[in-house]
Amino acid sequence: MTTIASSAALSAPRRARRYMDRKSLVPLLLFIPPALILFVVLVVLPMIDAASFSFFDWTGYGPMTDFVGFENYDDVLSHRHFGTAVRNSLLVIAVSLLVQLPLAMWVSLALVEKRWSVNVIRTLFFLPYMLAEIAAGLIWKFVYDGNYGIIPTVGDAIGVEMPFVLGDKFWVMPAIMLVIVWKYFGFHMMIYIAGLQSIPSEVIEAARLDGVKKWQIVRHIKLPMIWGSIVISVFFSIIGALQLFDLVIPLSNGGPNNSSHTIVTFLYQFGILRMKLGFGGAVSVMLFIACVVITVIYRRLLFSREVD
Amino acid sequence: MKKLALAAMLSVAAIFPAAAQEVVDWMHIASIPEEVALMEAAVAEYEAANPDVKINMQFLENEAFKAKLTTLLQSDAAPDIFYSWGGGVLTEQAAAGVLRPVEDLVDPAVAEALGSGGMSAFTRDGHIYGLPQQVSEVVLWYNKALFEQAGVDPASLETWDGFLAAIQTFKDAGITPLAVGAKDKWPAHFWWSKLVVRLAGQDAFDAARKGENGGFAAEPFVKAGEMFLQLAALEPFQEGFLAASYGDASGYFGDGKAAMHLMGDWDYGAMKDNSANKEGIPDDQLGILPFPTIEGGAGDPTDTLGGINGWLFHKNASDAAVKFMEWYTSAEVGSRFGNAGFFIPIAAGAADGMTNPFKVQIAQSINNAHWHAIFFDQELGPQVGGVVNDISAELAGNALSAEEAAELVEEAAADIR
Repeated sequence: MTTIASSAALSAPRRARRYMDRKSLVPLLLFIPPALILFVVLVVLPMIDAASFSFFDWTGYGPMTDFVGFENYDDVLSHRHFGTAVRNSLLVIAVSLLVQLPLAMWVSLALVEKRWSVNVIRTLFFLPYMLAEIAAGLIWKFVYDGNYGIIPTVGDAIGVEMPFVLGDKFWVMPAIMLVIVWKYFGFHMMIYIAGLQSIPSEVIEAARLDGVKKWQIVRHIKLPMIWGSIVISVFFSIIGALQLFDLVIPLSNGGPNNSSHTIVTFLYQFGILRMKLGFGGAVSVMLFIACVVITVIYRRLLFSREVD
Repeated sequence: MKKLALAAMLSVAAIFPAAAQEVVDWMHIASIPEEVALMEAAVAEYEAANPDVKINMQFLENEAFKAKLTTLLQSDAAPDIFYSWGGGVLTEQAAAGVLRPVEDLVDPAVAEALGSGGMSAFTRDGHIYGLPQQVSEVVLWYNKALFEQAGVDPASLETWDGFLAAIQTFKDAGITPLAVGAKDKWPAHFWWSKLVVRLAGQDAFDAARKGENGGFAAEPFVKAGEMFLQLAALEPFQEGFLAASYGDASGYFGDGKAAMHLMGDWDYGAMKDNSANKEGIPDDQLGILPFPTIEGGAGDPTDTLGGINGWLFHKNASDAAVKFMEWYTSAEVGSRFGNAGFFIPIAAGAADGMTNPFKVQIAQSINNAHWHAIFFDQELGPQVGGVVNDISAELAGNALSAEEAAELVEEAAADIR
C-alpha cells in the first residue's frame, strides 16, 4: 500500500532524476552502446555518405572531386522517367492501403478463432511473406510468362487471348501490385490477428448478450480496440511501398520501356548501374526526406491518438 | 612415439607448401556448364604445373557482375583478375587507379601473339591494364527451315528494303521474324548499333563522340532511329519481347520459333543451352546472314560490330596473376575454347584449328573488317551506353521518335565530354 502511494506521489522531475541514479546508469551504459554503435555505423554513416555523394559528379571510382552543388537534384527532377517512378510508388501506396489492408482485415476477422483448420489456412496465407522477395518475383515471372506461364494457359482454356502482362505498359503495374498484395497481406493479417486475440472475450460476449449485431461489434468494438495494430500496419505499408525494389527487379526490371520503375529501382537503374552515384545519392536523399516527413506527420496524426 | 613424430613431420610437410601458396582470385561470368568445365580443367592443369599458385575461381552472373563491379573493385574482396569488355568502363577504372598497369611485366612475345588491335583495346595512356582473350561479332543468325517454310530467299535480305520485305513475308506466313530480349535492353541496342555502323561509319562515329557536327544528334544517327522505327512498325519481334530477357529470346530462337536473332557469336552455344531440349537448332539448319547494307550509308560494307573481351588486373594483383593470364590467353589454351565453339580466341594461330564453320566464318569477317566497332554500350561507357540501351529498347517498342532518341544520346554524351 505504501509503495503504491509513494510511486504515485513521484513528480515528473523526480522520475527523470531516477534514471540518473547509479542503479539504472549501469544497464544504460551496458545495453545502449551496442545498438547505438550498430545504428551509427550501419545506418547513420552510410546515410551521411549518400547525402555527400549527391553534391558531386562521381562515377563511384576514386575520390570525389567534382563538386556540382544541386545539379544532381536538378537532373533527377527533370529526368524523363522520374515522374513515372514517383507515380508508381504512390500507386503502390494507394493499393497497399485501399486493397491490401482491408483484405488483410477481412481475412483476419474470419480467421481469428483458434482451431487447427483455421491455423492451417492462416499459415498458408502467411507463407508468401516468408518467401524471399527475389524468389517470389521469379515465381511470378513464370506465372505471367506469355509463352509458358499460367496466365496464357488459363487464357487458352477459356479461349481468350491473354496479353504478355509484363511486356505491356498497361498491365505491368497491376501485375506487380497483385504480387505485392499476395506477398504482404499475410503479414498484415498476422498483425491484426494478434491484435484481435488480445481483445478480452468478455467484452465481445457482453456485447453479444446485449444484442449488438456482428457488424456493429466489428465496427464499434474490435476495430477501435486494435487501433494500435492498424496504425502500425498502415505505417509499414507506406514505408514498405516507398522502398519497394526486390520484387520489381526480377518481375519487370522496371520495364517495359521504364514504365514500371519505383523510386528505388529508378535509383538503382539510373544511378548505380549508370555509374552516376551523385545522381543516385540525390534520389536517395529525396526518398529519405519523404520518408522522414511521412513518419513525422504520421506520428503527429495517429500515434498520438493511440496514446489517448 | 616414432609414429607420432613421423605423423607430425608429415603434417608439417603438408602444411608448408599450402602456406607458401599464392592465391589468385579470378572472377568470370561464364555460365555454360561445358565452358566452365573447360575453365576448371585449365585451372587444374596450371595448378599442377605451378604448385605454388592456387587459382580461386569466382562466378557472377552477367547483369549482377556489371552492377557489383564498381563497389567490389574498391573493397577488400576485389578479385585479382576479372572479366572485361574494355571500352568506356575500362577507361573509368584506369583513371580511378583501381587497376594494375602491367606493361613492364607482360612478356613482349605474349603481347605480340595477342595482336596490336587486341592489346590496344586493353591499353589506356600507354599503360597495359589487361590481356585480351576473345573477339566476338554480332551477326544475324537465321533458321533455314523457317526461311524455307515461308519461301524467303536468304540472298534477298542483302539490302534493307529486301530485309523489310522478308520481314513482311514472315509475318504473312505466321512466323515470328525476329527474336529480341528487350528487357535486358542491350540485345535491342545491337539493332541501333548495326544501323549506325552502316549509316554513319567509323569517321562519323568518332566525330560524334567528340561532339563535332552536332554529335549524336547528327543526321546519320537520326536516320538510324528512323530505320529502326521503320522496322519496329512491322512488329517483327516475338510477342512480349519487352518482357523477354536475353536468355528468353535466345531460347525462343533456339526452339525454332523465330526466323532470325541478331546476336553475338556466343549465341551459338547459348541458343542451345537456353532452348527447351538443350540442343537448339541443328547446325545444318542454322545460318549466318550479313547485316543488310543500306544505300547511301557511309559505313564500309566489311564493318563489323562486336567486342574484344579479356581480363583486367586489379591493383592488388600479384605477378602470379599476370603469369597465369599470359598462359590462359595463349593460343594453346584459347584454341580449346575455340574448337569447342565457345568463343573465338584472339591469340595468333589459336583460331586456326577451329572446325566450327560458324566460328570460322565469323573469325574471317572480323579479320577482314575495315572497322571492328566495339559494342556501343561498352565503348561509350555506362552513362552514354546506358542511354543508348534505353532508347534502343524504346525504339523497338515504337515508343520514341527518332529525333528524341538521337537528342537523348547526345545529351548524355555532352554531359561527359
